[in-house]
Amino acid sequence: MKKRVPMRVAGWSSLFLIVLITVLAFQGLIGFSESGPDWALLNDSYFHSILVFSLKQALLSALLSVVLAWPIARTLYYLPNVPALNSFLSLCLLCFVMPTLVLITGLVVLAGQAEWSLYGLNGILLAHIYLNMPFAIRVFYQQLKGIPDSSWKLSAQLKLSHWQRLRIIEWPSLRGTSLMLFGFIFVLCFNSFAIVLALGGGPQSTTLEVAIYQALKYDFNIPEALMLAWVQLLIAGGLFLMVSRMGSANWLSVDTASDEWTPQAKGWRSWLMKSSYYLVWLVLLLPILALLFGLIQGDFSRMSLASLIKPTLITVSLGLFSAVIGMALAYAMLNPIRQMNSLGQTRRRVFFEWLATHALVAPAMVVSVGLFIFLLQRIDIDRWGIVFVAILNTSIVVPFAVQKLKPRLYQFDAQYGDLSRSLKLQGWVLWKIEWPFIKSAFFSTFALILVLSMGDVAIFSIFGSKEWTTLPWLIYEYAGTYRMVEASLASMLLLALCALILWLFEKAQTPHA
Amino acid sequence: MLKISQLIIERDGKQLSYDFRLEEGKILAIQGLSGVGKTTLLSAIAGFVESIEGLISWQGDSLNSLPVEQRPVSYLFQEHNLFEHLSVIENLSLGFSGVAPKAQIVEATVVLQVADQLEKRPRELSGGQRQRVALIRTLLRPEPLVLLDEPFAELDPKTRAIATEWVRDTAKLLGKTVLMVTHQSEDVDRVADESLVLEC
Repeated sequence: MKKRVPMRVAGWSSLFLIVLITVLAFQGLIGFSESGPDWALLNDSYFHSILVFSLKQALLSALLSVVLAWPIARTLYYLPNVPALNSFLSLCLLCFVMPTLVLITGLVVLAGQAEWSLYGLNGILLAHIYLNMPFAIRVFYQQLKGIPDSSWKLSAQLKLSHWQRLRIIEWPSLRGTSLMLFGFIFVLCFNSFAIVLALGGGPQSTTLEVAIYQALKYDFNIPEALMLAWVQLLIAGGLFLMVSRMGSANWLSVDTASDEWTPQAKGWRSWLMKSSYYLVWLVLLLPILALLFGLIQGDFSRMSLASLIKPTLITVSLGLFSAVIGMALAYAMLNPIRQMNSLGQTRRRVFFEWLATHALVAPAMVVSVGLFIFLLQRIDIDRWGIVFVAILNTSIVVPFAVQKLKPRLYQFDAQYGDLSRSLKLQGWVLWKIEWPFIKSAFFSTFALILVLSMGDVAIFSIFGSKEWTTLPWLIYEYAGTYRMVEASLASMLLLALCALILWLFEKAQTPHA
Repeated sequence: MLKISQLIIERDGKQLSYDFRLEEGKILAIQGLSGVGKTTLLSAIAGFVESIEGLISWQGDSLNSLPVEQRPVSYLFQEHNLFEHLSVIENLSLGFSGVAPKAQIVEATVVLQVADQLEKRPRELSGGQRQRVALIRTLLRPEPLVLLDEPFAELDPKTRAIATEWVRDTAKLLGKTVLMVTHQSEDVDRVADESLVLEC
C-alpha cells in the first residue's frame, strides 16, 4: 500500500488547492466589507424578481433541453445507419462547448436577418437550449448505447411490445441520467452569465450572477453582492448535492461487445425520426451559417488578419495550461474519492465529489472579484493578472474534468478493482493497465476542457488586460462597438479552432479497451 | 412435430449440421462436447442464429423466415435471463401475451422454493435461485416449444432433483415440446423421453 501514498497526498492537495481558491475569494469579499452580507435584501422586491427569473429560466432551459434531447437521442440509437451520425455527434459536442460569445454573435446576426427580437426570456431560453440540448443528446445516446445486447435479446424472446420495451428497458437506463442531467443543466443555466448579460436586461430578465456583477461593477456594493452570492451558492449547491445523491448509478454497467439485437426503427417511426434528425441538424447549423453568411457579405477593409494572431496564440496557450493542469488535478483528486466509492462510504464520497466540483456552483463572478480584492493589496495585479486568469480558468474547468472522468474510473474499479488488488497491482504497473481503459475518456475530457477554457470571458473581464487580449475578449470588444463583421470573423476563427481541437481528439481516440 | 431437416449453420468458420425429428409433447435431451453446437442449435430454432441451408419446421410450418418475436418458442438462455432492475415477481410476469397466470406462477415458486424471494431483485438471489426463477417463466409461458440451455447447471443435488421433477411434470401437464441441453446423464434419465448426442 505504500506506493499509493504519494497519489493520495496529491489527491488531497489538489482538493485543498481547489477549495482554497474559493475560500480566499470569499475571504477577500468578507474582509473588505465590514458589514457582511446585506440580508435586508431578502425582503426586497428587486431580489424576489431576479430570484424568480433565475429559477424560471433555469428550470425551463433544463426541462426543454432534456425533453427535446430525448427523442433525438432515440433517433440516433434506433437508426444507427442514419447519414452523418458521427458528424452530428461532433456538432453536438461543439455546440455545448461553443464559446458563448460566438453563439450570441451568431444568434444576433441570424435574428437581425430575420428581424426577430432575441432579448428577454425567449432569447435566453433559445441560447441555453442551443448550448445544452446537444449535450443532453450525447449523454442520452451514450446511455442508450450502454443497454446490453442481452437485454434486447431477452426482450425479443419475451415478445415485449414497444411500450414494454420503453418502460422496462429504455426508461430505467435513462431515469437516473435524466435527473442528473436536468440538475446539471439547471445549475449551468442558473449560473449563466454571458448569455443573460447579452440578451437579458432589467430586473425582469436578470439572473443572480448578472445581478452580482452589476452590484460589484456599477455600485461596488459588496454587502449586496455577498448576499446574492450566498443565495446563489446555497440554491445551486443544494440542488447539485441533491441530484448527486438522487441520480442512481447506471444499472447496465457492464460493457457488451455486440449490438446485434438492438432494435431498429421501421415504417412511420423511422420516417418521423429521420425528419426530426434533419431538422435538428439544420437548427444547430443555423447560427454558424449566419456567421458565415455575414462574413461573405462583409467589408474587411478596416481589419487586418494580423490583429487576430496574438489573441489566438494567447487563447490557445491559456487553454492548454488550464487543460493540462485541470486534468492532473481532476485525476489526482478523484483518487481518494474512488477509494471512498470502493469502500461504500457513500456520504463521504458525495461530499468530496461535491467539493471537487463546487466551482460549478460557486458564482464565477464572486470568485473572480473576491480573489481580485484579496490579491489587490498583496501583488501587482496589472503584471500578474494573466496568471490568475489561467489559475481561475483551471479551477472552473476542473469540475467538468471530474464529472467526465469519474464514471470511467468507477467502472474500472467496479470491473477490475478487486482483481487488481488480489494481483497486488500498484503504482506504475496498475497505471499501465488502467490507461488503455481510460485513455479514450481521458483524451475526450482533455479536448472538452481545453475548448471550454478557451471560451472564457467572465474571468478575463476581471483579471485581463489589453496587453493579453484573448480571442473571446476581442469578439466582445468588436461586438460592443457594433463591428459585427469583425466580431463574426473572430467568432468563426475561434469556432474553427474549437472544432479542429474536438475533431483531432475524437479522431485520435481508440475504442474502449 | 418439430422437424430439423438438413440444417446447416456456420459458426466461427465451422459448418455445423443437424437433422432430427421430435414428436409434439416429447422431451429431448441434447448432449455433446463443448463447442459441438448445442447452444447454436437452440439459438437457430429460436431465431437468433441464421442457417445457411435446411429447414426448421413446427407442425408443418417453416420457422426459417419468422423473426424471433413470431416463433412459438420459449427459451431459457445459459445466462442473462432476468432484468436486474426489476423484482423477481415482475420478471416472472413478463412474456405472457395477456395477464400472467399469477396463481400458477406462485404455485411453481413454492415447489421450487423461491416463493419468499418474489419481492427481491435478481442480484440478491443466488445463482441457483435465479436459474429456478427463469425456469418457471420459461416453462409457464404459453409457447408450445420450450428450449432449455443447461437449466440445472447451478443447482445443488437436492434442488436439482426437485427442479428436474417439476420440469418433467409441468411439461407433460401443459403438453410442451422440450429441447434441453445438458451435460449430466442423470438429467437425461430423470427428465427426457429421448436423447440426442451431437458430434463434431
